[in-house]
Amino acid sequence: MQDALLQLQTEALAVFLNVKTLEELEAARVEYLGRKGRLAEAMKDLASLDAEARRDAGKIANDVKRTIEASFQATEARVVAGAAEERQAQEWLDVTLPGIPPAVGHLHLTTQAIDEISGIFAHIGFVRSRHPEIDWDYYAFESLNMPKEHPARDEWETFFVGDDGEVAVGEKGKIVLTPHTSNGQVREIEKGELPIRMINIGKCYRRQASARHLPMFHQFEGLMIDKNVTVTELKGVFDYFVKRYFGANRATRLRPYHFRFTEPSFELDISCAVCEGTGKVDGVKCKLCKGGWLELGGAGMVHPNVLKAGGLDPNEYTGFAFGWGLERTMMMRSGINIDDIRTLYKNDLRFLTQF
Amino acid sequence: MNILASYNWLKEHVKTKLSAEEFAKEFSLRSMSVESIDRLDQRFENMVIGVVKSIAQHPNADRLRVATVDIGEKEVPIVCGGTNLAENMRVLVALPGSRVRWHGGADWTELQKTSIRGVESIGMICAPSEVGLDKVACGDHEIWDLTAVIDAPAGASVAAAFDCNDTMFDIEITTNRPDAMGMLGLAREAATAVGADFIPMKGLSLSKGEKEGSFTVRLEDDRCERYMAAVVEGVTVGDSPWWMQKRLLFAGLKPINAIVDITNYVALELGQPMHAFDAETIAKDAIVVRQGKQGEKLVLLDGKVVELNPSITVIADPEKALAVAGIMGGKDSGTTAHTTTIVFEAATFNALTIRRGSRAIDVASDSQLLFEKGLSPSALPVALARAVELAIEITGGSLVQVIDEYPKARKAKVFPFHPDAARRRIGVDISDEQQVDILTRLGFEVAKKKTGYAVTVPYWREDDIEDEVDFTEEVARMYGYHNMPSVLPASRPPAGFDDASLDWAMWTKKFLAGAGFSEFFSNSMVSVADLEMYGVSPKDALPLYNPLSTDLTHLRPSLIPSVLRAIERNQAFTASANIFELARVYLPQDDGLPEERMMMVFGEYGVIDAENAFMHLRGVLEYFGEKTGIAFTITRDGENDHWHDGRTAFISVDGVHVGVLGQVASDFQASFGIHRPVFLAEINLEALFPFMRHAHQYKALPAFPVVTRDIAVLVDEKIEFEKIASVVRGAKNLVTDCSIVELYRGEGIPSGKKSVTVRVTLVSPDRTLTSQEVDDVMTTVVRELALRLDAVIRG
Repeated sequence: MQDALLQLQTEALAVFLNVKTLEELEAARVEYLGRKGRLAEAMKDLASLDAEARRDAGKIANDVKRTIEASFQATEARVVAGAAEERQAQEWLDVTLPGIPPAVGHLHLTTQAIDEISGIFAHIGFVRSRHPEIDWDYYAFESLNMPKEHPARDEWETFFVGDDGEVAVGEKGKIVLTPHTSNGQVREIEKGELPIRMINIGKCYRRQASARHLPMFHQFEGLMIDKNVTVTELKGVFDYFVKRYFGANRATRLRPYHFRFTEPSFELDISCAVCEGTGKVDGVKCKLCKGGWLELGGAGMVHPNVLKAGGLDPNEYTGFAFGWGLERTMMMRSGINIDDIRTLYKNDLRFLTQF
Repeated sequence: MNILASYNWLKEHVKTKLSAEEFAKEFSLRSMSVESIDRLDQRFENMVIGVVKSIAQHPNADRLRVATVDIGEKEVPIVCGGTNLAENMRVLVALPGSRVRWHGGADWTELQKTSIRGVESIGMICAPSEVGLDKVACGDHEIWDLTAVIDAPAGASVAAAFDCNDTMFDIEITTNRPDAMGMLGLAREAATAVGADFIPMKGLSLSKGEKEGSFTVRLEDDRCERYMAAVVEGVTVGDSPWWMQKRLLFAGLKPINAIVDITNYVALELGQPMHAFDAETIAKDAIVVRQGKQGEKLVLLDGKVVELNPSITVIADPEKALAVAGIMGGKDSGTTAHTTTIVFEAATFNALTIRRGSRAIDVASDSQLLFEKGLSPSALPVALARAVELAIEITGGSLVQVIDEYPKARKAKVFPFHPDAARRRIGVDISDEQQVDILTRLGFEVAKKKTGYAVTVPYWREDDIEDEVDFTEEVARMYGYHNMPSVLPASRPPAGFDDASLDWAMWTKKFLAGAGFSEFFSNSMVSVADLEMYGVSPKDALPLYNPLSTDLTHLRPSLIPSVLRAIERNQAFTASANIFELARVYLPQDDGLPEERMMMVFGEYGVIDAENAFMHLRGVLEYFGEKTGIAFTITRDGENDHWHDGRTAFISVDGVHVGVLGQVASDFQASFGIHRPVFLAEINLEALFPFMRHAHQYKALPAFPVVTRDIAVLVDEKIEFEKIASVVRGAKNLVTDCSIVELYRGEGIPSGKKSVTVRVTLVSPDRTLTSQEVDDVMTTVVRELALRLDAVIRG
């Protein structure tokens, strides 16, 4: 009996040693370790022995069982690893196959700019307001310290609503398509929620159409009003925006200018990226900028008459405002070199899906 | 508006040794923007005066000749096409290495030694425009004949011969500062900006004239505030001297004759437009300033005939109009070589009248550009005196009469000034003394008062300075914005919050882009055709009073016409795509401003599988609702001519209609010329904003195993999925969901029928279901489907 068991063990181990494939492995398992396998059969024979012989033989039988099982496990590990290795050796794919782009859509460049710009101003506490894009003359001009005869109010630059040769008129004057986002200034002040740190991004309309000017465009308007707001803070906000949006290496300049609704007024310039602020490329005048500077847009301290129009005491409150062309700002940074700005709103998907 | 200013001229009034570049930098920082710097000595580098010695026909070109030109140390051959080329002519020769503008074009190119059609040519004989002097009179295909202009010898450098060792600045003058349009005003500004002394012009005054004159001036139009005239007798009108021509030329003005040049020169120097009449042409020696008469015609200096009307101020004599006030003189009353007596006019006209008048008759001039900015009547005596002085010096003659009509003399403006208020506004500690000094240097008279100061505004700033706050700007800019610190606002946070609708609009755009839709961004202005092609009456859209063109006449009340127009344009290049637009539409109201309603349209064009397109859009909408906490009801109930009857659903929230989802009616698809079906969802986002929230709802995971079973049933084509689903869901309460796996028509399916494979989900909240229980449920489901929908189980 004992010899038979040891014989089984020797035989099993020899067979395991020659097992090479998963199929052979399974066959070997069934042969020796299966429910009706040789080891199970041998174990069954133990029952026929008397008690003493059974004890001795049982001990050996258990040893044999453990040895065979351990050997099988080792064999299994060897065969499985070998099989995996073999499979990998045969697996292959063509890595030059083209990539499959994710099926995402594309936000319009203008939307991307609106999102980014409002995000930058949000960092320094400016909140986004919504104001009409079709508004009263009062908010677009009158309340902004623009006297009746101001050129911007003449019909050749501003669109008016009206029909049959008559301009639509209502409680606060004519109805205009806002030529700038500044109509939001007095409207924001009128809300009576102070202090104000507003950013107003909206559509504007002007009677112009060329490669550089669109009849519909966007502006972003900043307005900050509180007690003791100063020019130095406007300068700070401007610098912060420029460094964040255009890059830390861009220089800024406040250049005196004239606007009716701010006093003092200035244009905000940033250094040109093409000529690096020198005004010259290879000794020839830079075609993009004026003397090394690019105009970003206008700004200034809110005119006392504007504060008054909104119901504030200019001796108590001061503020600053700026209103810049969004498309222009976006083009200045992007380097996309769209030579005709009208391309932006032509809705050509071959253009739109590039961004 | 930009002007070209000579640095040498400015330096006659500003005591400075700064280089042109330094000057431009300092000036731009504190005053107005110098947009470019043009060094004239460089512009004329390698250019010399040449004398044409002989001329021969070019052997290989009919229109070209070969000139032998003396350029000083030698004679060189130059090929030239100038039709006026003549022997002994003095010409401007650009030698190799110089920069010229070919035929007066925009770009400067460097000249090379070359051969033209086989003949060597050393340089080029130039026309004025080829060296940047566009305003010099010169015929087409002619070269610049300098014989009478200059007597420098052959070989002399052009820069030296023209005495133009000078730099021209191109400066943008802001509209509030017409005083700086004149060199004197610009110099005053510059002196303060660069911290140098200002050298004023020597005092000028007008005597009453040497003898009693016969001229009269009558003001009948109060839009002329002041009118001064000076009569000068015995003049000889020839060309003006070269020094004057040169200054006009480099400023971009065209020399005409000595008298006209004098008026232009004074305008350039002092910023006050002038005019000169030939006294002979003024009937009865009487000047009348009056409104134009309806239908009255006048031939202008440039030959254009304009029709006048009462909105325009006219200078006339008792018989006829002589000039359009402040805009342009008449052809017949101008000075000529035969003129012996002139009447200089210096007047102040209403700025608005000039601006509107100029637009109305479509005539622009340098004079009009100055007047429409607003000029002071106090500027007249100096300007007139200067013109008379120059006339006597250049054309001879003597002053015989001066007239001054000024019914209501202006008083100087005086405002209080508090340096402390300026400091508060600027945020920098600029001393009282420094502030007063800045104002004084700019020409303001500053007097100390008990509190603060009283500041008298000089006449040349009368229109610009309106209140005390304007002094702050003078102080701030001259102190220098570049000298101020840059400070981030550290004060209280704002009281308001982001506008929720704008946040949601941006969120929605990102959602749609994430879902694979690309954004259209269209003009809000549309044409009548756009509206009518989509069956919208122009009466329901906001009309523009003054549209720019016939294709932009109304503000859109719907996004769909723009979207369809864009689809039509794209279909040739991009056969199908997922697109969206999100924008405000403008809806006319009975009264007041229009409603600005945020709408969104998203969809798919170039659709081949309608069912799939619809399911796709519906899925996007439902997911959008899930993310924003909005439960959309999507039903077939409703009717709308704009949409395909059988392929459209109506969307509502809590019983309120908010949009439509479906196929654009084929009529409208066809009217826009779109080839394949368009499926869109049009949603009134504005109506949803109040209910939108970031919905994150936690649902506990099932505690017991979830079982799914798929069954395929054959039903009539028009049995809607929702019917099947409701039968399945209603069969037993263990059924928690019924979703679609496959829709199949085709081989093996009778026509008019479809095979629908649905997945039934079962779960119990309190136990693991046995397979027997599941089988029982499915038996019930099958029975119910057969009973209620005549469904036949397949396979």
